[in-house]
Formats: sequence, C-alpha cells, structure tokens
Amino acid sequence: MAIEESLERKEALVESVKYKVSIENVDGWYGTKRAIKDINLKVREKTVTAFIGPSGCGKTTLIRCLNRMHEMTPGARVDGRIIVDGINIYDKSIDAVIIRRRIGMVFQKPNPFPTMSIFENVAAGLRLNGINNKTIIREIVEESLKNAALWDEVKNELHIPGMSLSGGQQQRLCIARALAMQPEVLLMDEPTSSLDPIGASKIEELVRTLKDSVTIIIVTHNMQQAARVSDFTAFMYLGDMIEYGATNQIFMKPEKELTERYVSGKFV
Amino acid sequence: MARLLDIGLERITNLILDMGHLSEDLVNSALESYEKGTMMRAQIFEGSEKLRFLQIEVTDFATELIARYQPVSKDLRFIQSSMDAAYGFSIFGRYAYDIAEVMETIGPLADCDKSEVSLMAKTAKDMISLSVKSLEKLDKNASQKLYMMDDSVDSIFRKYLKKVLTQTKKRNFQPRCYVSALLILRYLERISDHACYIGDSVHYVVTGDASPRR
Ligand SMILES: Nc1ncnc2c1ncn2[C@@H]1O[C@H](COP(=O)(O)OP(=O)(O)OP(=O)(O)O)[C@@H](O)[C@H]1O
Ligand SMILES: [Mg+2]
Repeated sequence: MAIEESLERKEALVESVKYKVSIENVDGWYGTKRAIKDINLKVREKTVTAFIGPSGCGKTTLIRCLNRMHEMTPGARVDGRIIVDGINIYDKSIDAVIIRRRIGMVFQKPNPFPTMSIFENVAAGLRLNGINNKTIIREIVEESLKNAALWDEVKNELHIPGMSLSGGQQQRLCIARALAMQPEVLLMDEPTSSLDPIGASKIEELVRTLKDSVTIIIVTHNMQQAARVSDFTAFMYLGDMIEYGATNQIFMKPEKELTERYVSGKFV
Repeated sequence: MARLLDIGLERITNLILDMGHLSEDLVNSALESYEKGTMMRAQIFEGSEKLRFLQIEVTDFATELIARYQPVSKDLRFIQSSMDAAYGFSIFGRYAYDIAEVMETIGPLADCDKSEVSLMAKTAKDMISLSVKSLEKLDKNASQKLYMMDDSVDSIFRKYLKKVLTQTKKRNFQPRCYVSALLILRYLERISDHACYIGDSVHYVVTGDASPRR
C-alpha cells in the first residue's frame, strides 16, 4: 500500500513537471560557421540549469539564442525551434523585442548604463515600456533592488551613478535591472567571473533565492559553482550538447567519458 | 600534465594499501597464534593501534583533498571509498586483537578441536586478501565473489552455533573450547562482512552504483 501510494505520488510529480523552455533541433550560425549543432534540451520551470563546457564550445551562443540576441550579431542566424510556454519564439509573428523583455539577460561584465543613477538604471526599462507612474516605478525599483540583494547597501544613495558601485554591486544592479522587467526566464552568462569570492557568493545565494519565481539558465566556467547553484547541468563540447542531466548525476556519475574527463579536470 | 589532485590520490592509495597489507598480516598472526598456541597479543595490539592511526591519517588527508580540490565524479567516489576501506582495515586490526585476546582470557586451548575455525579462517583470510586486491586493481567484480564467500562463512557460523547449543545440554559439557571457538568464529564472521563492504566500495568507485545485493 505504502509503496503503491509513493509510486502514485511519483507519477503525479512527473506529470506536474512543467517545461518552461524547450530547445528543439537548434543550430546557431555565424555566417557559414555552425557554432552550435542540433541542440535539444528541455528546461524545467523554476529551476536553475547550468551550461558548462570548455571555452568556445558554444555556451554563449546558445544562451543568446534563447532570447533572440544571437541574431543581433551581423551574419548570425538560428535554425530550429525554441518553445517558451508553448510558443515558438522564432515564429514569424513574434516580436523579438517582446521576447527580450520576457527573457532577461545578465552578462559576464557588469554593464550598468554609464550615465544613469542607480535608480534610473533599474527604472529605464520600465520607462521604455511606457510605464510612467512615479509611484509604480518607485515600488518596482525598490522591489527589484531588494530581490537582487542590493537594496540595503544603496537605499540611501539611489541617485549616485550606477558606475560608482563596486563590481559585485554593479552586477547585482544589472540583475535588479533585469528583474524590474519581471522576466519569466533569466539568462546569466558567467555572471560572477569578474567578481571577488564574496561578490560571487552573494550572486550564488541570489540565484538560489530567485529560482522560486524565475527559471534561470546560467553559463559558468566554475564547476563548483554549477554544482552549488544548479539543479540541472548541460555539458557542451565543440558545439554539441554532450550530456544533460540532474546536476548531482553529472558531477557524481556522468554517463559520458567526455563529461567525466571535463568535470574531473582531465581535459588537455 | 598530471593534476595536482592525482598526487594526493596516489598518496591516499598507498596509505590504504599499506593498511590493507598490515591488517591482513595481523589477522593471519592472530589466527596462527590460536592454532599454535603462541601468545602474540602485544604485537597484535601494536599493529592494531598503528592501523587506527593510519585510519585517522586517511580521513584527515581525504578531507583535505576534498576541501582543497573539490573533486567530483570518480575522484570523489574514490576518496569516499578510501575512507570506508580505511575504516574496514582498521576494523580487521581490531578483530585480530580480539582473536589474540581470546586465549589470554580463556587459557590454553591446545586440547581443543580447531577444525571449524581453521575452515572459516581460510575463507576469511582469502576474503581479506581479495578485498585488498580489489582496491589495488579497482576490480568491480570482486564484490560478487566476496558475497559468495561471505555466504559460506555465515553458514559455518550458524552450524557451529547450533552445535554448541546442542553440546551445552550434555552433562559433561566443557565450555572452554566451544566458547573460544565461537568467539573467534564470530570475529571472523564480522571480518567477512567488512571485506564485503570494501568490495562494495570498490564497485561504487568504478561504476557509481551500489553493488547489487545477493
Ligand atoms: N561574433 C562571432 N563571429 C564568428 N564566430 C563567433 C562569434 N562569436 C563566437 N563565435 C564562435 O562560435 C563558437 C562558440 O563561441 P561561444 O562564444 O558561444 O563559446 P563559449 O562556450 O561561450 O566560450 P567561452 O567560455 O570562452 O565564453 C566559437 O568557435 C567562437 O569562435
Ligand atoms: Mg561565453
């Protein structure tokens, strides 16, 4: 009886798994160079998925395909389908600008808008989207800065330039800026690689907290970081998706020899 | 280019293999002392203490490797299993001492029938040496062989226990020989279990899975 019950519960759980993003047969091109090849991967809602792999394997290319940023590079193009909540974001009827709003991105180097204050950095996207009500803007800015774990450090100096913050603070400002748009998916491309260990661990804690409300995909070179923050890990090599699975499995018992060698640092 | 971690893994391998060989020697000496009636408690105690310190050394060093290199996959499994094996070998040493102590407490046993102990001793010794070899060669198949040997050890123990229980009902029952043999059989039976655990660990290092049980 107990066993039957637990089986039923398990099945119910399996059925309730919701995939937020489905990547289907995706190729990413730079002119005639096929940088990522036939990628297939389903990302579960409200989880953290890490993309790992050696430099040049296509992590950035793939993550940039997910919010239609890849096509902004001259000569670049994407084949295949990327389904977010049942809709192919590459469908002809879809406006790329709206996609970029729903799917936020944080880059390797913090890039606050250089001439804007802390407040304005977070508010800018809202204004661009036609929100002008000052009270609403103030509320969203505060909430975003709180969610990015930056509020306490900056609440008394919201009007100083964003660029006057430390690197780690700037990165959290960029996260706040992305969160202000209330994205459903947050893409992070090596978000801690330019930060010191304390700044990096703040971002890691933040990622863990944010996944309660946002689906997160993070590119990282730091294997231990992937192990700490992600639920699922995808290993890429030379443009191919070699292995994708639960993070624990990828780090404790990878199926593919290539993955084993990469995660154990045996790559030449 | 070798990884820094590999230097550490090599050292931990040497440590546990040393422990394995030492524990094997100790159990062999303890059994020999029982069979031949020679007193070896002091030497065996010394060896068993050495094993205990080596076990602490393995645990400390393994912890240091994990903290320093944050190993994953097979490397991490190997380090975990090294700690298990080190524990197993120090347990062998501990039981070797218990065996050696039997004579000290019960007295001379020259007149006792030692055939059952000899029979089980042979298998248990083979199991220890197989567990050491399985680690040395990272042989995932050893675990199944160890289970089979453990079955025969268990059955010898159960049979002897029954025999003792029948004997106790007899009027002229002489407990000395039976109690000593039963204790030693018990220690050997525990040793075989731990040899199986070492086999399991090796299976886990190699495959990432728990060894299938009998
Ligand atoms: N703008 C570009 N034009 C042409 N080729 C490019 C361009 N950007 C990237 N590439 C190529 O595409 C491949 C994948 O690059 P990508 O930047 O996606 O790798 P990555 O996995 O993010 O590497 P890293 O870890 O170094 O950031 C590489 O071979 C790279 O040289
Ligand atoms: Mg990149």
